[in-house]
Amino acid sequence: MALLELYNVKKIYQQGKIEVPALRGIDLTVEKGEFTTVFGPSGSGKTTMLNMIGCLDKPTSGSINFNGQELEDLDKKGLAMLRRHNIGFIFQSYNLIPVLTAYENVEFAIRLVDKHSKKELRDKVMNILANVGLDGLEARRPNELSGGQKQRVAIARALVKEPKLVLADEPSANLDSKTSEEVLELMVKMNEELGTTFIFSTHDPQVMDYAHRMLEIRDGLISEDKRGKSYVSD
Amino acid sequence: MFLTKLAFKNLIRHRNRTVVTAIIIAFAIFIFILMDSMIGGMTEMSYNNIIDYEAGHLQLVNQKYWEAEEELPLENLMVVNQQVMTKTENIQGYQASSPELNFSARLNNGTNELPVIGKGIIPNRLMQVFELQDQFVVGEMFSPGEYKAVMGKRLADLLKLDKGDYITLLVKDKNETFNTIDAEIAGLLHTGNPNINNNIVYLPLDIVQQSLNVDNQVSKVIVRLENKDLALGVANQLENNLKAINDNWSVYSWDELEAVSVAGAKEMGNQMILAIILLIAAIAIINTVILAALERMKEIGMMKAMGLQRKEIIYTFVLESTGIGILGGIVGLILGAFGVWIFTIYGIDFGTIMGSNIEMASFGIPVIGKMYGVWNPESFLLVFSFGVIVSFLSSILPAYWAASKDPVEAIYHS
Repeated sequence: MALLELYNVKKIYQQGKIEVPALRGIDLTVEKGEFTTVFGPSGSGKTTMLNMIGCLDKPTSGSINFNGQELEDLDKKGLAMLRRHNIGFIFQSYNLIPVLTAYENVEFAIRLVDKHSKKELRDKVMNILANVGLDGLEARRPNELSGGQKQRVAIARALVKEPKLVLADEPSANLDSKTSEEVLELMVKMNEELGTTFIFSTHDPQVMDYAHRMLEIRDGLISEDKRGKSYVSD
Repeated sequence: MFLTKLAFKNLIRHRNRTVVTAIIIAFAIFIFILMDSMIGGMTEMSYNNIIDYEAGHLQLVNQKYWEAEEELPLENLMVVNQQVMTKTENIQGYQASSPELNFSARLNNGTNELPVIGKGIIPNRLMQVFELQDQFVVGEMFSPGEYKAVMGKRLADLLKLDKGDYITLLVKDKNETFNTIDAEIAGLLHTGNPNINNNIVYLPLDIVQQSLNVDNQVSKVIVRLENKDLALGVANQLENNLKAINDNWSVYSWDELEAVSVAGAKEMGNQMILAIILLIAAIAIINTVILAALERMKEIGMMKAMGLQRKEIIYTFVLESTGIGILGGIVGLILGAFGVWIFTIYGIDFGTIMGSNIEMASFGIPVIGKMYGVWNPESFLLVFSFGVIVSFLSSILPAYWAASKDPVEAIYHS
């Protein structure tokens, strides 16, 4: 069953009197459990498309269906609730909250979605931190962690609430190649273990090897849709 | 709960900024408490000055005279007989009473003249009602029947008069006939009440009654009680008793006088000024919230991506600001309490601050020598609550602005 369906999605930005088209009509279907890479040159529309899918922005025209729900039918609160329960985000600049520890940054995400008992919550957070290789570092604040460790916290934060979809916008852009590889392997592992659907954007050809499906975007249109490894759901 | 925890953790995020903002609030609260104490002390002294030198605790007067009192009429006067005095002396807390006959006059020193208010009084009774005994700069109070006068030192200085000099008061008697009263200056006063210092000339009652042709009538009777809190209740009781003698007679307590209501109005004006001080605290909070929001723009974007609603983001900012308000409020209260404690014990000598040649009484502030503050626990509670509420309210708008940012713009904010 399709988790995500985009029909002729267009996004036009207004810069003064000039209209700048970022997406020119995207048609896309993403199945549950897919691990998809979106690549393309800077300014091709990758981030814009992820923002549309992540309910952070609205298309100028066209429609998006998320897990059977038409996004255009939802108001701001409805979109916020959909993001809260169904979508995890990973950004290249991590966007962790500096006053919270690694544990608390992850705890924050799960506190928003469900009322767990203290013990359940702690187990869940500690498990996910262990899974991303941060065992023993849970009490550290972001400024006490390396770039790779911060991104692992961001991944744990995105995954702890077990979302249907994880969107990652150039998650390895600020990392060296070794750390970048570790982070991508971690995402693949999570995809395989939890069956979470991943869509991430990149312009680094090295990281595309990890994807099951590769979408190339050029000038606001999907110019190529290649499928590699088999789906987890298969 | 987690958002509450986050808000309080944000308090220590930029410790210096939090401390500076809290100090501004604390300073505003400190100044408010100190000024409130000073105004309270000044008001108290002002009331005492009115009571001790001008109005006593109660005034027995003909209602028609009271209505025209500013013109100092010689009509609708009262005769104080034994029956009236008995009823007056029997009231709760009675200490003393002093009849006075007030009139307008022109004071002449032979060369120049000034308009003044003359008061015909019985010296020993006046001294029992008013605190004039220790206020003589030169000379002393005259005796009944003597053609002598007592006036303020400042008034005497204006006309270059001194003890032993002779003055002439030009008056109009009850029949609108001009008359003069000649008297020797027996003493000069300098009180905390500028009105007494600048405008009043005391003369023996019997001489004034004779000169004004009003027989044994007086304008009013001033009554002193054991304490001023009794005044209002006793005034009503005495008025009811006196109505049986003369339906026109009324009794006014000190707090019904116009001068007192003016002092109250001054206090209200000062409260307005103090509100401006707290406005400064509000601006500090707004500034802090806007700075924090600009710094945390990406974080706000991330929070929105995580599904936080606008109201939840506003909540974290508002709670953080309220925390700063509470912090500043507590420090302000401690500083304020310390300041008031010092102020009530040691006081402030405005004469020293302003220079020895300048008196606060010259500016209409009835203070001579040191002025002491008063404790007002209500103001502590009020200003603390106000400080916290101001911190809370002033953060809502900038927090709303921050929380309304487009999530995409916020996330990719640079």
